[in-house]
Amino acid sequence: MSVGLFQVLNMASRAMDTQQAGIEVTGQNLSNVNNPNYSRQVLNISTSPSVATNIGIEGTGVQATGIQQIVSQVVNTQIQAENSASSYWQTQQQALQSAQADLGQQVTSASSNSGDSSQGIASALSNFFNDLQTLSTEPNSLSERQVVLGDAGTLASQFNQVSQQLGSLTSQLNNQLQTDVTSANQLLTNIASLNKQIAAAQINTNSSPNDLLDEREEDIENLANLTNISVTPETNSTVNISIGGVQMVSGDNVTDTMQVYDAGGGQMLVQAATAGTALTLTGGSIAGEIDARDGPVATLSGGLNTLATQIIDAVNAVHKTGYSLTGSTNALFFTGSNASDIAVNQALVNNPALLQASGVAGDTGDNTIALQMAQLANQINTGLNNQTFSQAYDGTVATLGQSLSSTDSEVGDQQTVQQMLQQQRSSISGVSLVEEMGNLSTYQNAYEASAHLMSTVDQMLQALLGIQTS
Amino acid sequence: MRVASTTITNSMLYQMNQIEENQAQLENEATTGLAVQNPSDNPSAMRSILDLEAESSSVTQYQANITQLQQQASTGSSAMESLQTIAQSAGEIATEADGTASQPDLNNYATQVTQLIQEAAQAMNTQFEGNYLFGGTANNQPPYVVNQNSSGQVTSVDYQGNTTVPSAEIAEGVTLSVLPVGANTTGTGADGLITDSRTGADFFNHLISLQNNLLSGNTSAISATDLTNLQKDSDNITQQIATSGAVQQRMTAEAAIEQDRSASLSQLTSSQADADTAQVMEQLTQTQTAFQAAAQATAGFNDLTLSILNFLQ
Repeated sequence: MSVGLFQVLNMASRAMDTQQAGIEVTGQNLSNVNNPNYSRQVLNISTSPSVATNIGIEGTGVQATGIQQIVSQVVNTQIQAENSASSYWQTQQQALQSAQADLGQQVTSASSNSGDSSQGIASALSNFFNDLQTLSTEPNSLSERQVVLGDAGTLASQFNQVSQQLGSLTSQLNNQLQTDVTSANQLLTNIASLNKQIAAAQINTNSSPNDLLDEREEDIENLANLTNISVTPETNSTVNISIGGVQMVSGDNVTDTMQVYDAGGGQMLVQAATAGTALTLTGGSIAGEIDARDGPVATLSGGLNTLATQIIDAVNAVHKTGYSLTGSTNALFFTGSNASDIAVNQALVNNPALLQASGVAGDTGDNTIALQMAQLANQINTGLNNQTFSQAYDGTVATLGQSLSSTDSEVGDQQTVQQMLQQQRSSISGVSLVEEMGNLSTYQNAYEASAHLMSTVDQMLQALLGIQTS
Repeated sequence: MRVASTTITNSMLYQMNQIEENQAQLENEATTGLAVQNPSDNPSAMRSILDLEAESSSVTQYQANITQLQQQASTGSSAMESLQTIAQSAGEIATEADGTASQPDLNNYATQVTQLIQEAAQAMNTQFEGNYLFGGTANNQPPYVVNQNSSGQVTSVDYQGNTTVPSAEIAEGVTLSVLPVGANTTGTGADGLITDSRTGADFFNHLISLQNNLLSGNTSAISATDLTNLQKDSDNITQQIATSGAVQQRMTAEAAIEQDRSASLSQLTSSQADADTAQVMEQLTQTQTAFQAAAQATAGFNDLTLSILNFLQ
């Protein structure tokens, strides 16, 4: 005996169910064609168990065995690592672009032609010392004194402004650091929660919870944007997450969290809250914020402070030995101690006659001190690595420029790497409309064929029933 | 390689972004004419530009200093030339006032000499931009004050200046003084235009002596002493005029050097900062062409996708 018509009806029914499942999976894929976090799914089908008949082993048709998510864990792991690297450099790039804008040192068309930069500390520095030169040719001129004091004020306020803006940038980076750490902790909680749901879904349904896996992968990649992570998959499809060598997520438990702490002097760093271990981070926006703040931004700020201090000390040391138009002496030219608080002595601003340009008491036509102050512009300073004020400033600007230029290159390289990896992942996990439309057509035709089979068997059964009744 | 539907779109968008980024950079260079604007554009070029600009700014200032000194020297020279004319006139009077001249003539000569003393004092009190040129660094008051008796004759001319001359920087580390002081009897330091113990010049006292000898009719003293002394004064003034001329020549030469240096620095700055306009325009055209091609390819891809869907319908 063969399997019989009823068995064939069942076969047609199972085939229609299978093709319908295929249509459903295709529909899910088509719906998510533009979802960047979606990994395409395929319907796994196999022949249903065959039966032994008198004419041999006969097949019973087809059955759906599962819905499989097409992913490459290798590519995903690479993307996570590259996300950390990209985010690290992009954060640095943004911070250094801000620092460069704060510094305000640009070359303009006019400056390249006339040789006189119209903005920035470089120009203010040149103007101040040039004014002193002019004063040395007219040491008792009140108007020239006013020019010197005016441009000295401009120089001081430019130092103050850049210093204040760099201070704001540092505060912004610290605030962003705190925000990112909070976000990272939230993501750790989410991942642990998703681990729990994934493990439960696998036990309860004995199938892969593909959408939850996509959701978790998205969270892991977002976490990788914030910091470099180590992801260890477990047999029950959960993952463990470690940051800086400290385990943060184990299965469905958040075993530790990240915490911002003051390492001293307001230097905000990150530690594991429970373990109390300082985390050494090498990637992600959190490390980018710390490294930009403590690296190029701090170097720029330090360079400007040292320069301002040297200018204050050098100019004051000469000025104090001079005599004003009223015969007074020993006054400071600049007050303050660094870029943040450098200012022109208000007494001189109020009365330019008090500027001490003369080297001889009562000799108002003497220009010794004005000339000595002017000549400071070309003096080598040991406190500035044997450079003049201008050279030290130009070096500071170039150092920042070099840092940003290198960062720009890193960002460019990372963009290329990420683009390639995304393409690779897309070729594995991305939805192809052409492919899905082909599948749709295939499943539709198969469904129609199965329906036709059912219809044919039905007609055969009707014919058979007709014989019995007649 | 399997191609997902978003792969082509994402790839095209990435490429178009890259092209647009290049285009923006090139357009910026084309409109500003600058290859370097920000430190990060080219850090080492930026450092050179800033160094060159600082140097150029110094050179401009040295040029301004030279101009200032040239104007001072020019004004001072005019005064010294007036003084030379006065010395010549005094010499002529001393020569003419020999034993053949009558006392009324000698008195007339004396009046002329008194007048010459006044003129010389006036020349020595020449100002430039409110400062007295021949008082050394004590330049806020007239260096010479003429004292007269009730008859109008000059009894003395007092020097109120000092022996320190102000100097200004005309090149890095090079300072220059352009004018002598009125009097220097110390035997060292700045030259004295009226009085200098090293040359024996003492113009005002010699003129006063001439005036007094004319009034007293002491013609022998005039010929024996005054003429000789006045010759020393004249020689000293001539020497100072020659020195001033040499200094002005040096400044003219220095100004020319600074002018060349300024032009050279400007050229160097330009070579570091300026964009190669022809090259930029060529690259811009290439980039624009690439962008158009990418845009057309994107549009073509859209048509392709539609045709497949239409076919399946």
